[in-house]
Amino acid sequence: MSSKAPKGSDNTTRNLVIGMVVLVVAVGAIFSVLSNKENTSASLPSSVSKADGYGIVFNGDLTGVPVVDIWEDFQCPVCARFEQTNSAYLEKIIEEKKAKVVFHTLSFLGPESALSANAAACAADENKFLGFHKAFYGNQPAENSGAVTVDYLVSLGQSLGITSDKYKSCVANLDYKEWVNNVAASGSEKNINSTPTVLVNGKEIRRATSNTDLGDYFDPAAFAKAVEGK
Amino acid sequence: MKKAQPWVGLLARLILGGVLLVAGYLKAFTPDKSMMAVRAYDVLPIWLANILGIILPWLEIGAGLLLIIGVAVRYAAIFGAALMVVFIIAISQAWARGLSIDCGCFGGGGTIDPSKTRYLEEILRDTGLAVLGFYLLRYPVTKFAVEKNKSHELVQGE
Repeated sequence: MSSKAPKGSDNTTRNLVIGMVVLVVAVGAIFSVLSNKENTSASLPSSVSKADGYGIVFNGDLTGVPVVDIWEDFQCPVCARFEQTNSAYLEKIIEEKKAKVVFHTLSFLGPESALSANAAACAADENKFLGFHKAFYGNQPAENSGAVTVDYLVSLGQSLGITSDKYKSCVANLDYKEWVNNVAASGSEKNINSTPTVLVNGKEIRRATSNTDLGDYFDPAAFAKAVEGK
Repeated sequence: MKKAQPWVGLLARLILGGVLLVAGYLKAFTPDKSMMAVRAYDVLPIWLANILGIILPWLEIGAGLLLIIGVAVRYAAIFGAALMVVFIIAISQAWARGLSIDCGCFGGGGTIDPSKTRYLEEILRDTGLAVLGFYLLRYPVTKFAVEKNKSHELVQGE
């Protein structure tokens, strides 16, 4: 490595450039690693626990029922399709206490996903998570188009009857930003590699393999069967 | 040919460096997605895949910068070429095992619809980039490189 080269200035430039590049790489990588770590002191929305992968839980007190884990991203079009296919059934089994359902709102598609996930958690505090979920996917804006803003999410809440100032400030201040990160970290640990990913009792339901074979995801009867294990 | 070589080398530096820089930049700020892309290859243990998903984009940025600026070209070139060889192996095994994934080379990644996989194109592109890397390893002296001093390189230049 050591050099006998007489060109001192070339050496200096070289070392300076290498030093700067190494600095950029190190700072970037370390910052990324730290900001992706789970923050155990994050404030959590109601009905959320670390044990359930930081998801929003319905019927968490039930035992002996199927556990449905839904990993999704509010901006993912296929998630909207899943929601439209199965939301009526999911609402029914939640209402009739036939299953424990956990929604994990990932945010890998972009900042608007994180904004939406945060707002969904704010809505959960008002007991309006399912309504928010349905309304958002019912009119899902194009991915990262800039359509999802604080105003958009506040007025979406208002259309569901959420008028509290608490909701507004929760959305505007990203109160659950750390929680959104924790959900993402939990998805990484659990090897969730696409959205939607739906698990029943910890096992993924059957994926669609083609346009004609819808798997368990996009056929309501097959989904109900997968949940009920019949 | 001898006259063209430094210019070919410059082109190789800019293409390989540019691709690495852009690929790294597109992934560095969406670490969740990048981690997902590495996990989807289903080769590494999850924790290692996640760490690699975060760090690899930054290493690509670093190697890309060195190549474009023209400093420590041989080190950056061998890193880039080796990376491409690893990618080719990873994509090939995914293809052979019938996984349906996006390579996640420029952002994106993860499990995708089987009809959307593009393994052959991805392998051909990475092969081309690896060739550029090996070319620079053999002929590291190029036009408009900040570093003119060859003595630092892995092996004394021609």
